[in-house]
Amino acid sequence: MPVLKDKELRIVGFLCNWCSYGGADTAGVGRFNQPTDLRIIRVPCSGRIDPLFIMKTLLNGADGVLVSGCHPRDCHYAEGNFYARRRLEVLHRFLPILGIEPGRFEYTWVSASEGQRWQQVVTRFTEQIHKLGPAPKIAGPAASATLRQMEAAL
Amino acid sequence: MKYQQELKDSIRKALPDLDVVIAWSGGFDPLHATPHFIRREEDIDKLEIGPFSVHNLATYLPGLRGKKVGIVVKGCDSRSVIELLQENLINRDDVTIFGFPCTGVVDQSKIRKALGHTGKVDFCQITSQTVVVGAGGEEHKLRLSKVLADKCFTCQYPNALISDHFVGEKINPSAQSEAGYDDLEAFENMPLAERFAFWQKEMDRCIRCYACRNACPMCVCRDHCLAESRDPHWLSQEDNVRDKWMFQLIHAYHLAGRCTECGECQRACPMDIPLLLLKKKMNKEIKELFQYEAGVDPEATPPLLSFKMEEENIKEREW
Amino acid sequence: MAKVQFIKAADVKPWLAELAKEHRVFAPSYDGEALLFRPFDPAREIVLDRAATMPPKKTVFPQSEQLVDFTYSKDPEDLSRIKIDARETLPSGSTVVFGSRPCDVRGFTMFDRVYLTEKTTDIYYKARRDNTLFITLACASIENTCFCNWVDSDPCDSTGSDVLAIPVSGGYLLETVTDRGGKLLSSKLLVDGESKKEEAEKFCEEVAGALGAARDLSQAPEKLLAVFDNMEFWDEVSAKCLSCGACTYLCPSCYCFNITDETIGMKGKRLRSWDNCMSAQFTMEASGHNPRPTKAHRLKNRVGHKFSYYPAIHGGVTSCCGCGRCIKSCPAGIDIREIVLKAIDFKPAAVEE
Repeated sequence: MPVLKDKELRIVGFLCNWCSYGGADTAGVGRFNQPTDLRIIRVPCSGRIDPLFIMKTLLNGADGVLVSGCHPRDCHYAEGNFYARRRLEVLHRFLPILGIEPGRFEYTWVSASEGQRWQQVVTRFTEQIHKLGPAPKIAGPAASATLRQMEAAL
Repeated sequence: MKYQQELKDSIRKALPDLDVVIAWSGGFDPLHATPHFIRREEDIDKLEIGPFSVHNLATYLPGLRGKKVGIVVKGCDSRSVIELLQENLINRDDVTIFGFPCTGVVDQSKIRKALGHTGKVDFCQITSQTVVVGAGGEEHKLRLSKVLADKCFTCQYPNALISDHFVGEKINPSAQSEAGYDDLEAFENMPLAERFAFWQKEMDRCIRCYACRNACPMCVCRDHCLAESRDPHWLSQEDNVRDKWMFQLIHAYHLAGRCTECGECQRACPMDIPLLLLKKKMNKEIKELFQYEAGVDPEATPPLLSFKMEEENIKEREW
Repeated sequence: MAKVQFIKAADVKPWLAELAKEHRVFAPSYDGEALLFRPFDPAREIVLDRAATMPPKKTVFPQSEQLVDFTYSKDPEDLSRIKIDARETLPSGSTVVFGSRPCDVRGFTMFDRVYLTEKTTDIYYKARRDNTLFITLACASIENTCFCNWVDSDPCDSTGSDVLAIPVSGGYLLETVTDRGGKLLSSKLLVDGESKKEEAEKFCEEVAGALGAARDLSQAPEKLLAVFDNMEFWDEVSAKCLSCGACTYLCPSCYCFNITDETIGMKGKRLRSWDNCMSAQFTMEASGHNPRPTKAHRLKNRVGHKFSYYPAIHGGVTSCCGCGRCIKSCPAGIDIREIVLKAIDFKPAAVEE
């Protein structure tokens, strides 16, 4: 269970293995203070992230989703993040029609050496989500059941 | 429809070299047409084109791969054919396209409403301006412009964009492209919370029949859709808004940059859920970001299958 | 005719409000452009002058229902031993459906022959069926897609209903069909209806006449079997089928289901949800083999089941109630009547020696 129950929101991060996950690691090794709301899921490349992962995360009750990959031109697989950039930008612009604040989802680029930058990104995004507050939940018993299960899992 | 005879003659000439020609014929009542598969000479007589030719017949093409198929297309349908060609899902040599100038097709929901939802229709006469319907013992005179599908008011491509045989004279589009997203903009002016509530309400009545998906010419996975996959397990079998809504997002996303806005998803929905709104939003963003419109150029690459090192319209957000 | 009562049209809502104190009450009202059986709400308009988009199938056979609740637990002494604790989740409470049509309710009698037999009883189905009462409304308006008279029914058929309401001047004549239905008719809002009986009888005659002549389907079971192996026939009639499930899910007599376990972590539930024979996955076997590989095979099954295989094992009863929803809501305009008649009229080509 989260240590700061009720003070934390649920933020899910999809981070590419080669840059941003390393960047988060660097921030940790450097002992930079960071908010603890973010739960990280490591993926091989930002190009691996199906925008539907993000959609499903939001529909399942996450309050925010952060995606971070290698800087454009720095992709470990040369062009994964170029494709990702297009998909993620489309997603960002699509969200408002669903009634979901576009600010609940952001994508950015952090390299493995940018521990400090990672700290800034996490802090700013967490602040942004806290400003928006908890996401509206989808009506019906099923959504609350999932939330309970998610809570138990975290 | 004044070019009907010409179209029949054209099909008659081509039929010996084709396995089947897909067109429309009269449906179960005077207000409905139905897809009509012409295999033999005598089937040609039943062909009817006009404002009830609502179905996008391109949906059938990928399933008939390997056969020599003729297809009659409206302008909007031809965009689906182009998109299928572009994605190599059909072979150009196997498809013979019959085009005609389309002056618009009806929206059955609008007619149903105008007739007071009666299901007893005795006759229907159509002129260029009006539809006269005998229904429920009364005669209803409807202005054609009141019952045309919304997409027809903003149609940019009334003539088939690609065809082997075109009957009649090509006509000019009567609509402004800017008007195409008026409904979307009105929707987007609603507060976020209302939009969220709107989808909760609309998706609630979905029965998961997947008519939206199966009627979609670009949903080409057919029997292998991830909606029904257990592994990966994208959707549960529960009857809840979340899974139903998620499916619509899957559909919208898998059509990003491919959707030609034919509106079949919405037309097919037995529950009248306004699904096209999601597709239109996706298309509008794609158009703004990449100046791209699906189903216009068979040689183009869909924008999400390509990239530029420097994107003109994507600004890096500062963090 | 049993005891009859009369209710003024204006009293329908107050009556339903009375019933809603004891039962869950469903009545047709609009949800967007679709007319659905929705929980009774005094603020919502009840629409009775046309058949609903969906039959009230969900009230007895939900789109998705939980059968079992289960939890896995590991033995702390021996982690390889896993215990499963499973509990049945049976539905409770009683339901009244108002304004269903004779065809809609007759559909449940097709379910009964399958789910409530001497050999096996489906407890979930039974729990709902026994506790759901139907106040059926005779049809005043016949649609182009109606063909209940082809399948041994009529617009005033009370088969499967508990109370039959017949439109008469100023309101509805309420006819008791079953004893439990009679118990619903104790409201002070109802008055004796003897004087309206004649009018009701005349109504039924007239509306039955409006349906037109019925086609004889007695040969359908045999003729459909005769074309069973004629795939060319089925390829042709199914050519325009899109393989969606609109026809099956809107059908008052389609009762097939799928069972799946939805598990997260150590907890889960077993669900039963609607399934449809138009889907490729319906007969997909674990080996990857599919005995019904094309839409032609699947449509053949749907038509064959209703008009041939079901009657063969259930005393000649056609498993179609003639409501016409599959015709009206088919995105490709497939007409099941046309297919059955085509099979009946089909003459095999002379075999060349």
